[in-house]
Amino acid sequence: MAGIMPGGCAGCTQHRTESLVRLGLNPDKWDHLIALAGNPNTGKSTVFNALTGLRQHTGNWPGKTVTRAEGMFLHDDARMKVVDLPGTYSLQAGSTDEEVARDFILFGRPDVTVVVIDATRLERNLNLAIQILEITDRVVVCLNLMDEARRHGIAIDTAQLSRELGVPVIPTVARERHGMDELLNAIHQVASGATETSPFRIEEYPEDVEAAIQSLLPAIEEAYVGIPNQRWVALRLLNADEAVEQAISGGELGLLTGDDALAEAAANVSQEVRDRILEQASSLRWGLSRDFQDHLTEGIFRAAEIIAERSQARGVRRAKFDLDRTLDGLLTSRLFGFPLMVLILATVFWLTISGANVPSAMLATLLIDTLHPILQGFGSDIGMPWWLNGFIFDGVYLATAWVVSVMLPPMAIFFPLFTLLEDFGYLPRVAFNLDGLFKKAGAHGKQALTMCMGFGCNAAGVVATRVIESPRERLIAIITNNFSLCNGRWPTQILLATIFIGAIVPARWAGLVAAGTVVGVALLGIAFMFVASWFLSRTMLRGEASTFSLELPPYRPPRVLQTLYTSLIDRTLIVLWRAVIFAAPAGAVIWLISNITVGGASLAEHSVLFMDPFGLFVGMNGVILLAYIVAIPANEIVIPTILMLTVVTAGMAGVGAGSGVMFELDSATAIGDILVAGGWTLLTAVNVMLFSLLHNPCSTTIYTIYRETRSAKWTTVASLMPLAMGFVVTFLVTQVTRLLG
Amino acid sequence: MPSPLLSLVLFAIASAMVVAALWPRRGLIARVQRARRQSERVQVEDALKHLSTQELEGQVASLSTLAGTLEVSRNEVARVLGRLEELDLARTTDQGVTLTNSGREYGMRILRTHRLWESYLADRTGVRPTEWHEEAERVEHLLSSEDAERLATRLGHPLYDPHGDPIPMRSGDMPPLSGVSLSSLEVGAIAVVRHVEDEPEAVFGRIAAQGIVPGLELEVVDSVGGTMRVRAGGRVAELDSLAIRNVTVELREAHEVGRQASCTLADIPVGSSATVVRLAPACQGVQRRRLMDLGVVPDTAIEVERASMTGDPLAFRIRGALIALRKEQAAVIEVVPMEVA
Repeated sequence: MAGIMPGGCAGCTQHRTESLVRLGLNPDKWDHLIALAGNPNTGKSTVFNALTGLRQHTGNWPGKTVTRAEGMFLHDDARMKVVDLPGTYSLQAGSTDEEVARDFILFGRPDVTVVVIDATRLERNLNLAIQILEITDRVVVCLNLMDEARRHGIAIDTAQLSRELGVPVIPTVARERHGMDELLNAIHQVASGATETSPFRIEEYPEDVEAAIQSLLPAIEEAYVGIPNQRWVALRLLNADEAVEQAISGGELGLLTGDDALAEAAANVSQEVRDRILEQASSLRWGLSRDFQDHLTEGIFRAAEIIAERSQARGVRRAKFDLDRTLDGLLTSRLFGFPLMVLILATVFWLTISGANVPSAMLATLLIDTLHPILQGFGSDIGMPWWLNGFIFDGVYLATAWVVSVMLPPMAIFFPLFTLLEDFGYLPRVAFNLDGLFKKAGAHGKQALTMCMGFGCNAAGVVATRVIESPRERLIAIITNNFSLCNGRWPTQILLATIFIGAIVPARWAGLVAAGTVVGVALLGIAFMFVASWFLSRTMLRGEASTFSLELPPYRPPRVLQTLYTSLIDRTLIVLWRAVIFAAPAGAVIWLISNITVGGASLAEHSVLFMDPFGLFVGMNGVILLAYIVAIPANEIVIPTILMLTVVTAGMAGVGAGSGVMFELDSATAIGDILVAGGWTLLTAVNVMLFSLLHNPCSTTIYTIYRETRSAKWTTVASLMPLAMGFVVTFLVTQVTRLLG
Repeated sequence: MPSPLLSLVLFAIASAMVVAALWPRRGLIARVQRARRQSERVQVEDALKHLSTQELEGQVASLSTLAGTLEVSRNEVARVLGRLEELDLARTTDQGVTLTNSGREYGMRILRTHRLWESYLADRTGVRPTEWHEEAERVEHLLSSEDAERLATRLGHPLYDPHGDPIPMRSGDMPPLSGVSLSSLEVGAIAVVRHVEDEPEAVFGRIAAQGIVPGLELEVVDSVGGTMRVRAGGRVAELDSLAIRNVTVELREAHEVGRQASCTLADIPVGSSATVVRLAPACQGVQRRRLMDLGVVPDTAIEVERASMTGDPLAFRIRGALIALRKEQAAVIEVVPMEVA
C-alpha cells in the first residue's frame, strides 16, 4: 500500500516543515507541538516556565511576550515542544501580536493548543477561548490564577466548565506549580488522541450570516473533504479574512487539519475550484448587513456570558476585590497618589545610587587598579610586543572593565527593585496616574515606566516599550527614551557638578548644590522628553495608528527570590552582555587612534585639532567631541577618555598612564585641575553636562532601537534628533553667555 | 571666533529657513513635491476620475467642470483633453466630454484606488478624517492595480469608503448607494447616515467634528432657518445649511429603530454603572476592535470604578477586569445609566 502514495506523507511533512519555518520555528525533532495562548496578563509566561523549567521573564503586566518563546521538555518519554504565543484579547488580526498568535494556531498545526484563562476574569477570557475552539478541536484549557480567584471570592465549577466547553479544563496555580502534572497529563492525552474532545461551537449566527454560510458551505465541503471546521472556513471567507483567503488560493488550507493525507488532498484542489469559492464568498458578502462583524463578536460574548454564568459554583458571593479597591483608593487618589509615587520611585533611585557606590568602587579596584597592572605585567612576561599588550590590555580590556564596574552594580540593584514593583502590580497604576499628563504630549501613560526604566539603561527602556500596544505611542516612547539620563551618564553629571558647580558656592553647600544640579539635569531631560513627544506626535508621527487601553491587574504578593533571579538573568545580564560587546571594540579604537601616528602626531591629536574650532564654537572643545565619538558604544568611558586625551594633547607630564590608556583619579580636585589645565571653564562644564544629556544614544541603544522598530528611518531619527538638539542647546547657551559677557 | 551676536542672528535666520522649508503642507519642500506630482499622467488620471464620477452621477462633464476640478486654466484643460483623445480614453461631443470603454475602466480603477486608500487611512492609521481625501488624491496615482488588490485583501474587501461612497469592484460593478439629502427631512424623522460628502474639506471637517459619520442613526430635533439640530448617539449636534446638504441619509420607520442611548459612558459619574447600547459608528478601525475585544459590546454592564489622579483616564470594571480608558474613548461608548439597586 505504501507504494501507492510514495511521496504523499513525506510531501506533507515537508509542507508542514516549510510552514513552520516560515512561522519562525526551529524545525527540531519533537513528538508533540504545543501552543500556549491566552489573554495578556493571565500568567501565560508563568505556565510556560512551569512547564519547561525555562526562566522566561514574567511580570504583572499585560503584553509581555511579544516575540515568541519556545521550550522543550520530556513527559512520559514524549518530547514536547511548547511555543508561547503573544498574549492577545482575540484572534481577529488587527495588531501584529494577534496575527502572530493566529497564524500559528491556524497554520502551525499544533498538536494541542493550551488556552490559559484567568479565573478571575473568566467571561472576558472565554472570548478568546471560544475563538480558538472554533479553529481547532485539540484544546486544553488551563484555568490559572485559582488562588487569586479564591482570594476574591470567585469559585468556578471546573467540571461544569469542561462540559460546557467540551475540552479538558485544568485548574492551576502556575506560580506555585499547582496543577502542572494534571495539565501535562491532559495535554498528553489530547495530543495522543486518548481524550476525545467535542469543542463548543456557536451554532446560531445572525440570520443573514447563517444563510450566507449555508450557500457557501457545499462548495467548501466538496472541495475540502474531511477538513474539520468547514463552517468556520466559510465564516472566515465571508469575513474576508486575509489569511484564510490566502490559504485557499495558495493551497495551504490543508494545514488546518492534523491529518497529512487530508492536507495533501487539500493542496491538490484545482485552482479553478479555489477561485470559484473565493468569488462566491465575495458576492455573498454583498448581502450581509454592514455591521455583521460586530454582531459576530457580540455573539461570542453572549455565549461567554452564558458559559461563565453556568460555571459559577453556587452559594458564593460575587467577586469583590475589596483589598484592591482599598489599595487603589490610596495609590491612585488625588491627594496621596502623586506623593506616594514620588516617594516610591525616589526610594528606588536612592537605593540604586547609594547602594551601587560601594560595589562599583570595589569592582573598579579589582578590575582596574589591581587586575589591569597584573595583566599588563603578564603580557610583557610572556613576551608580547608592546603594541599587542597595549591594544589588548590598555584598550580592549580596560574599556570593558570600566563599563562593567560602572554599569553592573546599579543595574543589579535597579532592575530587581523595578521588577518587584512590576510583579506587585504597582507600575500599571503609575501609568494610570500619569496618563493625563502624557496624553497632553501625545504619549501613552505607560511611557512613564519606560522612561523610568531608561534611568537605569536606555536599551532596557527601549525594550520595555513593548508593553505599549499602540504603534504611535510606542514609537514616541522609543525615540524619546534617550532623554532619560541613564546610569552610564550619572557619574559624568555627578563628577562635573561636584568639580565645577559645587565650587562656586561655599563649601558647606557644595554637596547639596551639586546634587541639586544633577537632579535638575535629569528633570530637564524629562522636560525635553515631553517637548520631543509633543513635537513628534504632531509632526512625523501624526499618521501612525493610535489606541489606548490599560488593564489594571489585581495586586499580587511579589515573589522576591524568583524576581531577583529572573530580573538578573533577563535584564541585567543581557544588557550588560550587549554593552560589553560594544565596549570592547571602543577600547580598541581609543587605543589605536592614540597610538597610530601620522606626520608626528597621533590620529587622536589630528582629530582634536580638526574639531577644536567647532567644539569651541558650541562651548566645548575638540577633546570632548572626540571622546563622545569614540565613546558612542558606552557613555561610561567618556570621562576616562576625556582625561586621557586632555593629558596627551596638552602634553602634561606626570599624570595619566600613557597614550590610549584611560584613567580616572580618586580625587575630584585632581581631575578638576587636569580639566582646567586643558582649558575648561564653568561654561565648558555646563555645556558638557547638557551635551551628556542631549546627544545620540549609545550604540547598544541604537542597535536595540533598530531591533525593536525594524526601521532605519526611525532609528536615524532617534539617533540624530537628540544630537541636533544637543548642539543647538550648547550653541545657544555659549553664545548667549558670551553676549552677556 | 565669530561674535556671539552675529552667530545668534545667523542661527535665527538658518532656523527660520529650515522651518520654512520643512513646514508640513505649506513648506517649500511640500510645495515642490506637489508641483512635481502634477505630471501629465496625474492630470490625465484626475481628468478620467472626474469624468467617471460625473458619469456615475448621471451628469455630463464639460471643459469648465474639468477646469474647476483640476484647478488649471481652460487652455491647459484643452491640452489634457487632446491627450485623452489621442490615447482613446475620452471623446468630446456636442453634449460634452464622454468616456470610451477603456477610459471608463481606467477612471474606475483610479476611483477604486482612491476609495480603498481612504478606507485604509480610516481603518489602520491615525490620519485625521479631514486629511483622508487629500492623502488619497496623492496616493491614487502611485499604486499599481496589483498594489490596490493587495490593499483590498488586507482590508477585507470593503464595499464602502469611510465617507460612505461605494468602492468600485475590480469588475467595475458598484455597490448600491441610496438615500436622500438630510436637508429634506422633517422634524421628528429618524434616519441612518449613508454618505458624507468629503469636499469641501472645511464643510466635511465641521460635519465630522459633530460625529456625523456613515452608519449613525439620528433623529431630527428641530430645523430653524436652515440650521438643523439632530440627536444621535446620546448627544445633540448642530449642522448648518451647507452641511446638511452634504449628508445623505436613509429614512427609518419607527419600528426599525432599536433602543436609544441616553448618554455616553463619559457622562456616568464615578461609582455608578451603565449598560452599553452600542459603540458609536465614528469609532472605527483598531480602536473599535480593541474595545470590542475587551468586551464592550451591547448589553454589557460597566461600572465606573475610579478616576485617576488627574481625572482622566477613568478605570472601568468591564466583565470582571479593571480597564482604564481615556475620556474621549468613553465618549464613543453609548449607554443607558443603570438604576441604583
